[in-house]
Amino acid sequence: MGRKPKKNDSLPGSLDMLILRTLSLRDLHGYGIVQFIQQSSGNELLIEEGSLYPALQRLELNGWIEGDWGVTSNNRRARIYKITVEGRKQLAIETRQYAKLTLAIAHVMGME
Amino acid sequence: MDSARRGAALQEEMELHLAEKAAELEAGGMTAERAQAEARRRFGNVTLKQEESREIWMTRYLSELGQDIRYGWRTMTSNKAFSALAILSLALGIGANTAIYSLMESILMRALPVAEPESLVVLNWTSQPPQNASKEWVHVVHGIQGILWPGDRGALVTGMFPYPAFETLRQETAAFSTLFGYFNGRKHNLAVRGQAVSAATEYVSGEYFRGLAVAPAAGRLIEAEDDRAGAAPVAVISFAASQNRFGGAPAAIGQAILVDNVAFTVIGVTPPEFFGVDPASVPDLYLPLHSSVLVEGPASAQMFGDENFYWLEMMGRLRPGVSMAQAQAVLAPRFRQWVAGTAKSDGERAKLPAMILNPGAAGLGQLRREYSKPLYVLLAMVGLILAITCVNLANLLLARAAARRREMAIRLSLGAGRLRVVRQLLTECVMLASLGGALGVLFAVWGVRWLTFLFSRGREDFTLHAELNWHVLIVTAALSVVCGLVFGLVPAIQSTRPDVIPALKDGRGGAARQRTQHVLVVAQIAMSFLILVAAGLFVQTLDKLHSVQLGYARENILLFSLNARQTGHRDPEIATFYAELRKRFESIPGVSSATLAQSSIISAGHAGKTYRGAMKIGSVAIDGASVMTAGPRFLTTMQIPILAGREIDDRDEQGSKAVAVISERLARTYFPNENPVGQRITLVDDKREVEIVGVSGNLRNGGLKSGDSKAMTVFIAASQASPEGVTYALRTAGDPLRYVTSVHEIVREADASMPVTNVITQAAEIDRTISREVMFARLCTGFAILALLTACVGLYGTMSYNVTRQFGEIGLRMALGAQRGTMVWMVLRRVLLLAAVGLAISVPVTLAATRLVKSLLFGTQPNDPGTMALAGAVLLSAACLAGYGPARRASRIDPLVALRHD
Repeated sequence: MGRKPKKNDSLPGSLDMLILRTLSLRDLHGYGIVQFIQQSSGNELLIEEGSLYPALQRLELNGWIEGDWGVTSNNRRARIYKITVEGRKQLAIETRQYAKLTLAIAHVMGME
Repeated sequence: MDSARRGAALQEEMELHLAEKAAELEAGGMTAERAQAEARRRFGNVTLKQEESREIWMTRYLSELGQDIRYGWRTMTSNKAFSALAILSLALGIGANTAIYSLMESILMRALPVAEPESLVVLNWTSQPPQNASKEWVHVVHGIQGILWPGDRGALVTGMFPYPAFETLRQETAAFSTLFGYFNGRKHNLAVRGQAVSAATEYVSGEYFRGLAVAPAAGRLIEAEDDRAGAAPVAVISFAASQNRFGGAPAAIGQAILVDNVAFTVIGVTPPEFFGVDPASVPDLYLPLHSSVLVEGPASAQMFGDENFYWLEMMGRLRPGVSMAQAQAVLAPRFRQWVAGTAKSDGERAKLPAMILNPGAAGLGQLRREYSKPLYVLLAMVGLILAITCVNLANLLLARAAARRREMAIRLSLGAGRLRVVRQLLTECVMLASLGGALGVLFAVWGVRWLTFLFSRGREDFTLHAELNWHVLIVTAALSVVCGLVFGLVPAIQSTRPDVIPALKDGRGGAARQRTQHVLVVAQIAMSFLILVAAGLFVQTLDKLHSVQLGYARENILLFSLNARQTGHRDPEIATFYAELRKRFESIPGVSSATLAQSSIISAGHAGKTYRGAMKIGSVAIDGASVMTAGPRFLTTMQIPILAGREIDDRDEQGSKAVAVISERLARTYFPNENPVGQRITLVDDKREVEIVGVSGNLRNGGLKSGDSKAMTVFIAASQASPEGVTYALRTAGDPLRYVTSVHEIVREADASMPVTNVITQAAEIDRTISREVMFARLCTGFAILALLTACVGLYGTMSYNVTRQFGEIGLRMALGAQRGTMVWMVLRRVLLLAAVGLAISVPVTLAATRLVKSLLFGTQPNDPGTMALAGAVLLSAACLAGYGPARRASRIDPLVALRHD
C-alpha cells in the first residue's frame, strides 16, 4: 500500500491486453478491472487508475469490448464491459505477439 | 452515442470508480475524508482523463471522416462519368435557383439602406377609373404625372397626390414623425465646369432626408429651409456623381453646377449605399421641391397650388408604437375630407380617391409590381429543375447502389456497422452535392450577371444590383447539402438493408428498386413536360409579338433625343435650331432621310407633355385619337404610307398655316363619305384649328403588347407645336449605330454643351417594350433544354441499368431466336410507356398550372393545343433518343456471353 503505483509504460499497449484478458474471464466494470488486475498480479501491476478510462474508450471504439449499463455486486449503477468476438481475436493476436516479445527479450537477457 | 451523452456517461463511470476506491480505502481504516483524497490522488487528474477519452473519440471520428472522404473521392474518380454528370446537373440546378433567388431577393425583399426601414410607409390612393361608359374623364384628378397601376376589380391605384394634400396631411402629426414628398424630375442637363451630361433628378421636400434618416457622406443634406419659394438654389448629389464629376465627395461641396442652365450650389453628397426611394432608379441629383419652378419653368409653379393635379409622391415614418393600420385610421378620414372639398361635380364626388398605406421598407414598388409574378414563375421553374436534378441524382445513386450492392453486402458481412456503411455512402453523396453546390455558386454568379443584363436590356439608367449575399449563399449551401442527404439516404439505406445474404447470392437489385426508379423517371418526364409547355408558350408569345403589324419601319432607323431648352435656347430660335440640325443630319452620307418628333413612336404618350386634350371636327368630338408631333418627312422616314394628300414638310413652319395629317382609320371614322383633305380639326385646349393636308396609313400606337393596332392618329407639325425636347429619327443604310459618331459631331458643332441622349435603334426600342417577354422566352427555353437533358440522362441511366439487369434474360431470348429489332423494341416500348405515363399525369397538371401565367402571354392561350402537342412530341423523341443507346446495347448482347454470365 505504501508503494507508489508504477506507471504501466514498460510495454506500450499491454494495458489493452490486460483489460482484454480480464474481460475474457468475466464481465466487469472499470473499478473491478483495476481490482482484478492488481489482485491477480499479486499487487505487482498497479494501474494508474485514471488511464484505464481512455483505454476502455479506445477498446470500445475498436469494437473489441462493449459497455452497457448494469448493476454492480454492491448494487450500484455502473458500466459493465464485456469482450466481443473481435476482442477475443485481438486478445489472441496480442497474446501471441507478447509471447514472442518476452521470449525474444528473455533470449537477449540470457534468461532462457 | 452523441458526445454530450458520452461525456456524461464517462463522468458517472469515473465517479463510481472514485467512490468504490474511497470505500475500499475507508474499509482499510482511513477516515472518509482522507480516503476520498487518496482515491482522487491515485486516479490522477479527472478532467485530464476525460479530455483524453474525448480526444480518442474525436480522433477516431476525424480519421473515419478522412477515410470516408478518401474512399468517396476514390469512388468518385473511378466513376468519372457518373460523378461529372451528378455534379454538373446539381450545379446547374443549384446555380439557376440561386441566381433567380438572388434576383428575387434584390427586387422583392431587400429593404432600403436607411435606418429602421420597417417604419416607413408609402401613401397611395385607390379609386374607380375616371372614365365611365361614355369614355369621358370625370374625376377629381384632372391631371396626373406619374404611374397608375391596376388594383382590385378594375380600380386604379397610384401614389401621386396634389401638393395641397401633402400640406394638409403634413399637419397630422399624430401618426407620422415625418411626412415627406418627392417627385421624379427625370433627366436634366447637369453641367459642371462646362462639361454637360444628362443626370437623373429627384425633387425632394425639405423633410425627405430627415424622414429617411440618411446621413450625408459630405456637407449637409436638403433641409426644410432649403425647400421654400425664393430660397437659395442648393443641390445634393449622389456619391457616384461626386466621384465622377468632382473626383470625390468633399471636393464637391460648395461647387457651382448648372442644371438646365440654372445655377445651383452643391451643399452635400448622399452616402454611397443610398439610392433614393425607388430601387429601379438612382437619382444623380436631388433638388428641393420648390426649385422645380426654377428648372421646369413657371408652369411648374401652378402645380403647387392646383388641387386637382396629382404629381407628388409621399412617404412617412411612423411614430414609435404606431402601427400602419392606426396611421391609416388617422390619415384616411383627413384625406377624404380634404379631397371631397376638391370635387366640383357629383360625377367627381362619386369616385373620390381613398387613401391606403403600404409598407415602404423596400421603397417604391414599380419593379416589384412588374416583376414579382414573372419572378415567381421563374422560381417555380427553377425549383422544378432542381427537383428533376435531385430525382435524377437519386436515380443515378439508386442504380449505382444496386451495382454496389455486392460490395456493401461484403462489407456488412465482414462486420462493418450498418450505420458506418450508411455514413460512408452519405459522405459520398454530400461530397457530390458540395462540389455541385460550389460549382453552382459559380454558375449563380454568372447567372445573376446575365439575368441583370437581361432585365436591364436597353435601360441605360438601370440600377438594380442583384448580387449573391450571404443569405443566398446559405440557402445554396443548405440546398446542396440537403439534396445530397435526402437523395443519398434512400439508396444508402436500401443498399444496406439487412437482407444481405440474398444480395450476395443474387448480386442484382430487386423489383422494388426498379419500381422506384420507374416512378422517378415518370416524375421527371412529367415535370419536364410542364417546363417544355411553359417555354413553348413564352416562345410563342415572343413570336406573336415580333409579328405584330406596326404600320411603320422597324429596321434601319436611328433614334436619339436632344433638348435645346435645357441648354438655354429659347423660342422662337429653338424651332430654327432644330430645323437646321435636321437638315445637317439628313446630309450625313448614308442617311436617306431625317425627321424629328416630340418623342419616338413607341414612347409617345410616355415621354414629356402629351396632347390629350379634346379635339373636334366642327361640332363633333373626336374620341380616342392621339396627337403626335411630326417634323418634315416623318412619314417618309418611318415608311408610313401616304394615302392621300401630302405629308408634313419644310413648308410647314411656325407662323404658316397650321396643318395636320390624319391616319386612315380616323379618316374613315369621321369622314366616311368625303375627302378629309382640306377639312379642319379644332384642338380645343390649344385654342387653334389645323387643316388636314394628308391621310397616312394606320400605325400601332404604344407598345407591342398593350398598343392599339389601328390607333387613330393626328400628326401635327412639330415646328408649329412648342416642343421641349425632340427625338430625331434617321433612316440609314445598314446598321444605324454606325452613324452615332457623325451625329455627336454635328451636335457638338451646333452646341457643345448639349448632350445627345437616348441613342437607340428603332428595333431596339421596340424590343425594349417587350424585354420582359424576350427575357422570359430565353430563360424558359434555356430551362426547358436543361430539364429535357436532365430527364433524358435519367431515362438513359434507368434503361441502361434495366438492360444490365436483364442481361441474362435478353441473352436467353436471343439464344431462342429473338431478332435484334425485337430487343430494341422491347426496350423502347418501356421508354415510351414511361414517357406516356409521365405525360398522362402531366397534361392535366400543366393545363391547370399554365392558367396561372395567362397574364404573361400574348396572342396565345395557356392551353394552346399546338404547343402542348409540340412539347409532347419533343419529349417523346427525346425519350426515344435517350432510350435508343441502351436498346441498341440490348440488341447487341451476345447470347453466349450472356448465358455464361453467372
